[in-house]
Amino acid sequence: MKIPTTALTRDKADTLLLLASAVLVLAPHTTHLPLWVSLLCGATLAWRAAITLRGKRMPPALVLLPVAVAAMAGVQFSYETVLGKDAGVAMLVLLVAFKMLEMHARRDLFVVIFLCFFLVLTNFFYAQGIVSALLTVASVLLLLATQLSFQFTGAVPPLRTRLAMAGRMLAFAAPIAIVLFVVFPRIHGPLWTLPGEAGGARSGLSDTMAPGQMSNLALSDEPAFRVRFFTPPPAQARLYWRGPVLDFFDGLTWSRGASQASGRDLQLLVGGDPVDYEVTLEPSQSRWVFALEMPGELPVVPGHALRISPQFELTAIDALNSRVRYRASSHLQFAFQGGPTLDDAGRWLLLPYGFNPRALAAGRALRRLADPAQRVDAVLRQFREQPFQYTLSPPRLGRHTVDEFLYGTRSGFCEHYAGAFVFLMRAAGIPARVVTGYQGGEINPLDGFMTVRQSDAHAWAEVWIAGIGWQRVDPTAAVAPERVRRGLDASVPRPPPFGIEALRGMDPFQGRGHAWTVQLRHAANAVNNGWNQWVLNYTPERQRDLVRELQRKLFGWPFVALLTSVVMALLVLRFLRRRGEIHPVDALYSTLCKRLGQLGLARAQDEGPSAYAARVAGAAELAPQSRAAAQEFLRRYSAWRYAPPTADPRLTATLKSLLSQVR
Amino acid sequence: MADGLRGRLRRATGAWLPRAGTLDAGEVVLRQRRVFILPTRAGLGFALLLAVLLIGSINYALGLGFGLTFLALSCALVDMVATYRNLAHLALQQGRAATVFAGQEAQFELLVFNRTRLARYAIRADFADAPEPRHVADIPPGVHAVLTLSAPTEGRGWLAPARVKLSTRFPLGLFNAWSYWRPATRALVYPRPEDGAPPLPLGGGGSSLRAAGHDDFAGVRNYQAGDSPRQLAWRQIARLDPSIGGALVSKHFEGGGDELVLDFDALPRTLDLEQRLSRMTRWVLDAEGRALPYAFRLGALRLDAAFGAAHQAACLRALALYGIEDGA
Repeated sequence: MKIPTTALTRDKADTLLLLASAVLVLAPHTTHLPLWVSLLCGATLAWRAAITLRGKRMPPALVLLPVAVAAMAGVQFSYETVLGKDAGVAMLVLLVAFKMLEMHARRDLFVVIFLCFFLVLTNFFYAQGIVSALLTVASVLLLLATQLSFQFTGAVPPLRTRLAMAGRMLAFAAPIAIVLFVVFPRIHGPLWTLPGEAGGARSGLSDTMAPGQMSNLALSDEPAFRVRFFTPPPAQARLYWRGPVLDFFDGLTWSRGASQASGRDLQLLVGGDPVDYEVTLEPSQSRWVFALEMPGELPVVPGHALRISPQFELTAIDALNSRVRYRASSHLQFAFQGGPTLDDAGRWLLLPYGFNPRALAAGRALRRLADPAQRVDAVLRQFREQPFQYTLSPPRLGRHTVDEFLYGTRSGFCEHYAGAFVFLMRAAGIPARVVTGYQGGEINPLDGFMTVRQSDAHAWAEVWIAGIGWQRVDPTAAVAPERVRRGLDASVPRPPPFGIEALRGMDPFQGRGHAWTVQLRHAANAVNNGWNQWVLNYTPERQRDLVRELQRKLFGWPFVALLTSVVMALLVLRFLRRRGEIHPVDALYSTLCKRLGQLGLARAQDEGPSAYAARVAGAAELAPQSRAAAQEFLRRYSAWRYAPPTADPRLTATLKSLLSQVR
Repeated sequence: MADGLRGRLRRATGAWLPRAGTLDAGEVVLRQRRVFILPTRAGLGFALLLAVLLIGSINYALGLGFGLTFLALSCALVDMVATYRNLAHLALQQGRAATVFAGQEAQFELLVFNRTRLARYAIRADFADAPEPRHVADIPPGVHAVLTLSAPTEGRGWLAPARVKLSTRFPLGLFNAWSYWRPATRALVYPRPEDGAPPLPLGGGGSSLRAAGHDDFAGVRNYQAGDSPRQLAWRQIARLDPSIGGALVSKHFEGGGDELVLDFDALPRTLDLEQRLSRMTRWVLDAEGRALPYAFRLGALRLDAAFGAAHQAACLRALALYGIEDGA
């Protein structure tokens, strides 16, 4: 069969395919781009499609240039810069769209495809979920198919075939990519930073506490961090993740005092078995590093230097705006600054002048109790016995927040209780401070990780008692013991979706109640956490651990044996497949030729079986019997090869027996 | 500078390139040692893209970015293997090489067999010194493509084709795989027929023109109005279909006379060798065109009067190789 050779041609369909892949790449960007950029890109691509379909000419540079300049000005206007990350992505998106109108040579095609690859990467600034990953694979598949389509010079196979070809390439590439992902040496970024890209605003604990602030956080199901315990996890009620310590109260807001001087021994005595765990902290704008009360030693956060304040607050020097993972070891039994005196006791007794007169008086009245521990108990008893309510939607408070809460509304969230308690303690002459952080966490039975969510944010109190030191008191536990024992959902009903009571039962993810929804949520969490742990936050440290583990597991004899047997199996398979390609009769013929060659009668390259048989007949090197057998063999072979096909089931057997006679 | 470097490189590699400079007789299978591969300009651009992707992923700690980078890198690696496989294990055979006259394009047929189960696309072929390959073929499994490469001819004699280069960039265009082949084939180039040559030396000796008669058949001439139908040379007319440019011809008779002898030595010595060979070539063609039997003398070669394809071929071959070592 003769295949005609063809001249190099390019197809309209290829351009449309390129447009389609550009649309797929650009589509996820519309979620963060200004509307006008998305619309302009859409219009440009539609224009290009119309040009292709109608066979019109491309617009001249004289038309394109002003539009491009105007678009650049628009980016400057929208982002107030053209240099930042977001502005850069917008520029790149516009560049790809305009480049479509300015494609002339094959080189331009590569430029567009490469830019599209880069745009796929920039999309990860905004979303790195599993869906993004799937979309990325689809985009790469389509880009490969497009690039492939432009390489055909003859008849172009149908799109489905080309997609299958690209898919096959991806299938071969995926294992290599996974191996590279695991073993390619990782280094800590960033190599540089552009102005104004310190991550998006994320909710989290703040350095201040005012009524209503924390209950907003309590509605957020976003994870704050995840924990993997190496020792048995402690009971829920003992999981206090220490965060900012607030000591200064201005009448409305608790905040961290101005003086955070360090340079003193922390005087922490620990006892009991340590709890070992690993925390994966979600990125945020803040610098807080959370650990169970109290860590025996400073955790090491890769890529960040840590600082510890006299109040035992752990902070990083820089914002933790990427996911970090660190190991820590905490002792749940501890004595913190348990000496007979407190150097700066006055600082923890300060109260604002002119606020909350009733509470102040009530606190002062407690001083008649000689033992500070009794004063603490008295307030806790008050919380327990009076009709206090623990609620996510406390009523608004006025100027005297503590008074109104203690003697009026009597319903509040943890910040109300912690704030009022510390106020009363200070009034009663006991050094006290508010500690914020997270309380509790939810263990996922599927992967054993504990998730601590923003909704687990909590505020409690610390009081200093001579000889004992700073002691944790959680007044919320006095009001709603369930909060501490089982978490927020057990103690506070969540607001229904859209505020409509009838919809409460219809949200399957609402609450942590139903068994199957819990199962489902656990499964989703486990997948998401695995994704975070292994894909998004695959750090140099984790890589080192994994490679060490792999080395230990793989370089034993079982692996070598497995590898050897796989290689052998492949070789055998290849041999069998090779053999299957040759007809058994032909194989016998070549065996005969080889054997005759060993006997000094090699078949010439251009010799057919009949001519060979004639030469064999006259050869003196062979014994007469062998000669006859070889001749008979060649005659039968020739007949089988060149005569019209006749079915002789015994041919192979006959030839084999003849072959055995040639010696 | 670049050329010098390239030349030196070519000389340096010549030592270990598979049978570089020698002819490849018979069938040649493009095995691993014969297939070379390097990134194209687009491939280098892709490498740059990969570097940018990697740096971006490191800088912004994009876990998925690493995934994309390594996926793209792996695709490039797979493309490299695919490009190699697209060219490797093709079998090459030389086809016919038709004889031509000097100045015409020599046509070399190359047969490219695909005996594997892999469909081959966009196999480009041309002589190695061509700036852009002029031939492209797709070769499905179990099929062969016939590529006809043409090369300009200048002088008469044997013309061996230059080194043939087969290359491909399929599937992604990031790599260029190529292979060289020097087919052991050659085309015979006849001398260029002289333009405006003197008429055939009819009648032996010197005087070439005689009165036309009816005695002896002396070839055919173009039909002229008034020729009787009996005079038409039906045999020649049937050979040359008027629809493809044939014309009516009439038999031409001359009274008696000697046979037509094309004698090289009879040509004036003032002409140089090539010009004389050129004239002989023209006369052979003219005599054949008029179906005149002609005797042929060239040096020691003496052919009796005859005409027809075989006679013409023998004469032209002798002219083409006159004074040239005939290397079989």
